[in-house]
Amino acid sequence: MFDGIQFNSLGEFLAMGGYAFNVWSVYALFAIFLVANLALPLRKRRRILREQQRRLAAGAGQEEAGAADRAGWELSQEPGWEK
Amino acid sequence: MMKPHRRNRLGIILFITVGLSVAIGLTLFALSQNINMFYSPTAVANGEVEAGTMFRIGGMVKDGSVNQRQDSLAVRFVTTDYVHDVPVDYEGILPDLFREGQGIVAEGRLDAAGVFQASRVLAKHDENYMSPEVRAAMQQAGASPENHSFRESPED
Amino acid sequence: MAGRWQWFHRLGSPKWFYEKTTRWLPWLWGAMALFLTVGLLWALLFLPEDYQQGHTSRILVVHVAVAGTSLSFFPLMAVAGTVTLVWRMKLADMVAKNAAPLGAWFSFLTLATGSIWGSVSWGTWWEWTDSRLVSMLFQFFLLLGVISLRAAIENAETAARACALLSIVGCINVVVIKYSVDWWNTLHQPSSPISMEVGSPNGPEFWVATVVMIVAVYLFLAVSLILATRNEILQRESRAQWVRELALEAG
Repeated sequence: MFDGIQFNSLGEFLAMGGYAFNVWSVYALFAIFLVANLALPLRKRRRILREQQRRLAAGAGQEEAGAADRAGWELSQEPGWEK
Repeated sequence: MMKPHRRNRLGIILFITVGLSVAIGLTLFALSQNINMFYSPTAVANGEVEAGTMFRIGGMVKDGSVNQRQDSLAVRFVTTDYVHDVPVDYEGILPDLFREGQGIVAEGRLDAAGVFQASRVLAKHDENYMSPEVRAAMQQAGASPENHSFRESPED
Repeated sequence: MAGRWQWFHRLGSPKWFYEKTTRWLPWLWGAMALFLTVGLLWALLFLPEDYQQGHTSRILVVHVAVAGTSLSFFPLMAVAGTVTLVWRMKLADMVAKNAAPLGAWFSFLTLATGSIWGSVSWGTWWEWTDSRLVSMLFQFFLLLGVISLRAAIENAETAARACALLSIVGCINVVVIKYSVDWWNTLHQPSSPISMEVGSPNGPEFWVATVVMIVAVYLFLAVSLILATRNEILQRESRAQWVRELALEAG
């Protein structure tokens, strides 16, 4: 049905018919875009869980002290938002 | 059933969106001639462009019209929308996709003789993609794919 | 009242969303990996050269997939914004908040890949007079605007409402981007009609790779946005019992 692979050698593949810079820079940008937008949220998740564990380990007694600086995040505590 | 206050909020959102859409739509419609990137040869022939002004013209490079000077980068070709033709003079490097039978957009001025003196020539790819083999087979059969890249002045 | 809308309100529960996506994510990752692999191999190895632009046709597979998908951000944020404004649902705003930066990435990549293609095909990197190019740039700036609007307003609830309104209005620009190539003369080509016949202009040998890549990029959007939204849930709900238990389990 299709002609199959369009290149006869690795050199030909890398050269992209003289458009190596354009083709490969687009695929490099695409790779950065994909990896960044998957790896960054995963890294952030690990950081959030670590912080949460630290807070819990610090004990229930200190709970109130840390609450004030976190309040900004907690829309659920504000009036007007549905639970 | 939706609560009445929610229905009201939804109504306000709809009202704002519809109002703004109409306003922006009317603005774009009023500006539409200015938003066009180029004039067609027919629009030029109809005198839509003021003499001596800098503008862009878009059309196909007429088959067999490209005349490249041997001793310099100067080139003359004819651009056409198959209704009217405009000759173009240009000196410089042409883009990779510049070919007879393909679209171009040129920037420059019309001189007294009716020749477009271009300071810049861009190639326009149309919406048809095919392999060189398919293209060759089509040309052999004398067929050419439909393309909507250059319509006659859309506003007329 | 309660009965008919209950499913809708449950949908708005961060806990419900978190638990559901825990089950969905492995499937989404798998499907994304599969479609990306097939799309990339096809685009780089099997896609034929174009008679005019040669191997730069491979750029368009990525460009078209990313550009097309980038148009879904404003409609997505507008739907989420409407839910925020009308029903005050937290989850909708969390999705909208995390969609904006991702949409900015999409718009930027669309502009960059298009520019790299245009530099050889058109003979120019950028044209200010082309309405398709400028309206896409406008989408990028609008998304930066949504991000800065949220950062600028201190009250989280007011910020959410302002962003929701801007997102709804921003949808108008999506229509302009989509139809710019039909309404006005542009250097940018109009969208291609697809042909079912192999060996004809725009035949399957050209568009199948792009369709596979579009599916891959939509799956990527879903995975990335779900990951970011889950982070947001963990942060905003850090005092909820189920989040505490989850943090301890993960440790």
